[in-house]
Amino acid sequence: MHHFRIRSLMPRWRYALLGAVRDWMREDAQTLVYIGKVLLACMLALWVSLKFDLEQPRTALLTVAIVMQARTSMVLAKSYYRLIGTLVGIIISVLLIALFAQERILFLLSMALWISFCTAGSIVFRHHQSYAFVLAGYTLCIVGLPATLNPDQTFNIAMTRLSEIMVGLASASLVSALVFPQGVSELLRHSVRNRFRDFSRLLTSLDRRKLAAPATRAETLRMVGNVFELEIFHASSSMESDHSRTYRQRLNLLNSEFMAVTTSLHSFEQLMRRLHRSGHPQVVENLLALFTPVQAAVLTHQREVRDEHEARQVVLTSSTLLDHWETHLQEVKSRLPADLSSSDTLDFATGTALILRILNELHAYTSTYAGLDTSQKAAAVKIWKMPGMGMHFDPLTALLAGLRGALVFAAMSFLWITCDLHSGVEAITFATICSTLFASSPTPRRTVRQFITGVLIGTILLYIVNFHLLTHAQGFAMLALALSPVIIVAAWLTTKPSIAVIGAGIFIVFFLHIGFNNTFAADPVNFINAAIADLLAIMLAGVFYSLIDLSNNQWSRTRIAQALRELIQEICVHPAQPLRSRLETNVRELLLRMGTVHRVADARDKEVVDWLLSTLEIGQAVIALRSEAHSTPVPSIRRSIKHSLHQLAQLFAQPSTAWRNTTIRSITDSIEHLQQQEIRMQLTSANHQQLLAMLHFIRGALLDTDSVLTLSASLDIAEKQGVLNNA
Amino acid sequence: MPREIALLDALMPTLILAFIAALLLYWLLDKVLVWLGVYQFIWYRALFRLSLFSCLFCALGLLIY
Repeated sequence: MHHFRIRSLMPRWRYALLGAVRDWMREDAQTLVYIGKVLLACMLALWVSLKFDLEQPRTALLTVAIVMQARTSMVLAKSYYRLIGTLVGIIISVLLIALFAQERILFLLSMALWISFCTAGSIVFRHHQSYAFVLAGYTLCIVGLPATLNPDQTFNIAMTRLSEIMVGLASASLVSALVFPQGVSELLRHSVRNRFRDFSRLLTSLDRRKLAAPATRAETLRMVGNVFELEIFHASSSMESDHSRTYRQRLNLLNSEFMAVTTSLHSFEQLMRRLHRSGHPQVVENLLALFTPVQAAVLTHQREVRDEHEARQVVLTSSTLLDHWETHLQEVKSRLPADLSSSDTLDFATGTALILRILNELHAYTSTYAGLDTSQKAAAVKIWKMPGMGMHFDPLTALLAGLRGALVFAAMSFLWITCDLHSGVEAITFATICSTLFASSPTPRRTVRQFITGVLIGTILLYIVNFHLLTHAQGFAMLALALSPVIIVAAWLTTKPSIAVIGAGIFIVFFLHIGFNNTFAADPVNFINAAIADLLAIMLAGVFYSLIDLSNNQWSRTRIAQALRELIQEICVHPAQPLRSRLETNVRELLLRMGTVHRVADARDKEVVDWLLSTLEIGQAVIALRSEAHSTPVPSIRRSIKHSLHQLAQLFAQPSTAWRNTTIRSITDSIEHLQQQEIRMQLTSANHQQLLAMLHFIRGALLDTDSVLTLSASLDIAEKQGVLNNA
Repeated sequence: MPREIALLDALMPTLILAFIAALLLYWLLDKVLVWLGVYQFIWYRALFRLSLFSCLFCALGLLIY
């Protein structure tokens, strides 16, 4: 018996052990492997640069530290853009030296111009492209400044720096591709699945209880902002040639379909909230009943769909639902009380139109999702209109960021020239790195603070390594041994997202000043000078980040709200038919700029977030309305809708109570015009229904007293009552 | 063949040209291999790619020296 008991116990602790090992493999082992890879790449770069007798092996080391990332293709992408940035920077330095080698003021001025251009560029673009601009900016300092001190050596210096950077890039790429390569595709698939699961949760959570509770924006906002998380992996996955073009196109399509369906869902929720507050209870009840099958469609076996295979089930269910939509609708409609007012009937019709839209978009989104894992040969290869992510930026913000970059550079150069700063070149380089590298960060002040911490720690470590370890090192092995501890610590810090910048700070300061070139030079005086110069530079950059703060103050919030309103105006009055994807990407771009996805709770941000969500809500309705109106054969309808949209654009240009009332009245006129018997006869019933529903939706959004419009254009209750009674 | 060539009056090792040529060749060959689906049968793709490139570059280099 005893024997048996032990045997039955065995598996249990073995399972526990296996589970622990699996957890360890997933979390800690990844980190360890990554640190090992950084170390290996650094050593490779060091060895190669020493072997080739390059002048500054530390530049190669710095390059490795900067481009190293956990995912292979992200390293390749970053390396590619680093190469481009460096090449452009080197060409510009050679050009500037050829032009202004004798005129230091002109030289520094033109450098400042170039740096401001690059900083602005890094704001305009995203991810790796933004990084290429940063590099093109500070390569000018790394190559150009030392070269102006001895202009005859310019070409040699430029070529040596280029070779060192190339060695660094090659080592980083090789190591990350060959040693435990980690493809981005697994990550992509994972985040696509997670996103669908989160979306299903949001969809199924919409019920009576949620409508009664006060609106929580956090969830919706997270869904709305989710698009960019995927985009960075997506952007790098183009470096993995294993992926077919079709796969990437599908991902693009998936992104835009996801954006569309989340926006529709949000609009529907807003509508339901309004109805719950002031509409007919039976309408709410029946709309929810109509919506329930849609919610049930995204579930299999009472839970959310886990992968592409299960998503196929959802595609089938939703297409059956679409096929039987009319009968389903009639059935629910028959349950409505007969004595509904015309306004309540319109409410119901609007809700129906939105549910149908959600169902259609859900069907499209799920089909693309389910199609992701089929092999490219099996699926029909279609050429899709690539919606792309596009760009949207505020020129003034970019301009100010550029100005900040130029000012930091100018202030540092002024110090250098007037005070005869000993390590002037280093100081300028460091200040420029700080002022360009963090310009696109959503919270530059926090980033700079972390960076200062990193620089301080790095300087202390540097002192120990420079004067206590390197002095005893003989041969490559000892050199490697002396450098490894710092590399390991810094690499470990960079794996923690919340303090990654500290690690970056250690890396940068360590490799900028490590005391060996191809010959060893330990000079305490130089060291202290360089350390002081670094601190001065970073303080200066920090001061300028506080002085020209573009990220998180009232000014930037007002700008963003204004940009959102301009978007609505454009959608309303632009002569060309506005594109849905343009609205969706522009709004999300602004959300990304705001950087508030993770801190919605902030009351000051609430106003912007409200503007953002209501822009999506009204924007999608206007676009649907315009595309319906476009296909309407009756000119008088088109004219009245155009008039209403002009009013709406006016309202968003200058929100005021009077305009709000005028707009609401104008939309009511359009609705009444549409409801006339002879007009109704000339339209197809679907067209008529859609037009009415969208007009009614926009009116509902404008009448909402909780709307963000109320802040600048409060609505008199009397007016609201009057409109409702008329309708 | 000369070991160094003058490019815009700057002397450069001919190997650089060989490197660029090897890159182009590799890129073309890689496209073809992806199109043929050869990579499905290869265990360690990155290593294979690196080796392929090394072979091309060495072959061109040997032509020079």
